[in-house]
Amino acid sequence: MSFYLYLFLGLLVLLLLAFIWSQRKPARRTITPISLKLLEETGPRHVTYLPAIRQALAGADYDFILRRGSRLLLRRFKKERRRVALAYLGQLRGDFQRLLRVAGIIAVLSPEVTAMEEFERLCLTVKFRWRFEMIRMELWAGFAPLPQLSGLGNVVSGLSVRMEMAVKELAERAAMASALSSSLDRRDAD
Amino acid sequence: MRGIGSFEKALWLISVLLEVGLTALLLYRKNYRTFPFFFAYVLTVIAQSAILFVTYKIWGFNSQASRASHWSTQGLVLVARALAVAEICRHALRKYRGIWELAWRLLLASAVLVLLYSLVAAGFEWQLLELNADRGLELTIAVLVVVLFVFAHYYEVAMEPVLRFVATGFFLYSCFSVLNDTVLERWKYAYAPLWSRMGSLAYVASLLLWNWALRERQTMATREATLLPDGVYRTLAPEINMRLKVLNENLHRFWYPEGKRP
Repeated sequence: MSFYLYLFLGLLVLLLLAFIWSQRKPARRTITPISLKLLEETGPRHVTYLPAIRQALAGADYDFILRRGSRLLLRRFKKERRRVALAYLGQLRGDFQRLLRVAGIIAVLSPEVTAMEEFERLCLTVKFRWRFEMIRMELWAGFAPLPQLSGLGNVVSGLSVRMEMAVKELAERAAMASALSSSLDRRDAD
Repeated sequence: MRGIGSFEKALWLISVLLEVGLTALLLYRKNYRTFPFFFAYVLTVIAQSAILFVTYKIWGFNSQASRASHWSTQGLVLVARALAVAEICRHALRKYRGIWELAWRLLLASAVLVLLYSLVAAGFEWQLLELNADRGLELTIAVLVVVLFVFAHYYEVAMEPVLRFVATGFFLYSCFSVLNDTVLERWKYAYAPLWSRMGSLAYVASLLLWNWALRERQTMATREATLLPDGVYRTLAPEINMRLKVLNENLHRFWYPEGKRP
């Protein structure tokens, strides 16, 4: 009896949390028209700065300061590096979210949607967010997961390029369909 | 009416007044056309109140006859409420044909799962059959509303404020009902008066929300959103799916560097 009581109460708490989460950021726009601006923005933005960021976080500088600089300078240097890495990671997440949003718009505006594919995208989002938080915590704790950061950049970059291709293809198809529809309308009018 | 305290009587009177007010609003603003199932639900609730009033008046609140009439009418009210929630879901998502097709299946599956879970959790105690059935249905309604909100949030679909408020009213009341039924089952009648008051208060809060939400005439867009041509998703989805798999593998490699790979 008690077990089920707590189970029901736990379920209610979960429902309340999910309810609060869903109210967190109300959608500010209707997705009726395709936002061309948004589609244009799907390309990799911050990923392109990855070489510069890698340079900024390079181990050679760290070794140099370790040998030549003071302890205070070293501490300040580490702090700055961490700040840069965290900021960069935040921007990467922005890139990733933009791309996922485009995928979401395509799904919402499609007359037919497949559950399996949508479910896979959801899983991917959950995994990305989990791993992102792990890296952020590692960075925040003072570890330097530079190889991981680089890996994450590659992932986002790869998705960006592919999504760009997909969006281009989508735009071409939409234009084709629109032209076809117009020509049919004209034929009907004639 | 024997067996009912003055506070409960006052709450009951307020809720009946609010129900009548809501019916008047639905009729005056012609919102019954937009929300026929919600309108039917409100009428069912008013009918239940009338039947219970007569029953309590004749046999008293704590009689067997009153108990039987309460649970039998409650079944109808719950079915009407479930239909009204389904109507809200349909209004919220039907513009987007693709995701609506996905959503209604998801909502139905959630409803079936939660009902099954409730039956199992109830342990098939036939003495508390009405209570368990009531709790199961209320929990199902609460889950449906949350799934709807989560779905809309995930796809960034803007829901009309009236739909949000009506759904929130259903959610609040159903949550309170589940909580009350659960605690009532645990502590039996020691909790009964408080259970009755809490339930009534939650219901009054929901009625206030609905009255406020439906104070103006509502017209739901019946036209579908401008959708992409047929086949675009079908063509792109496998491609995107493949890309997502690649992404998954990359993420896996990323999380388990060569040295750490299990």
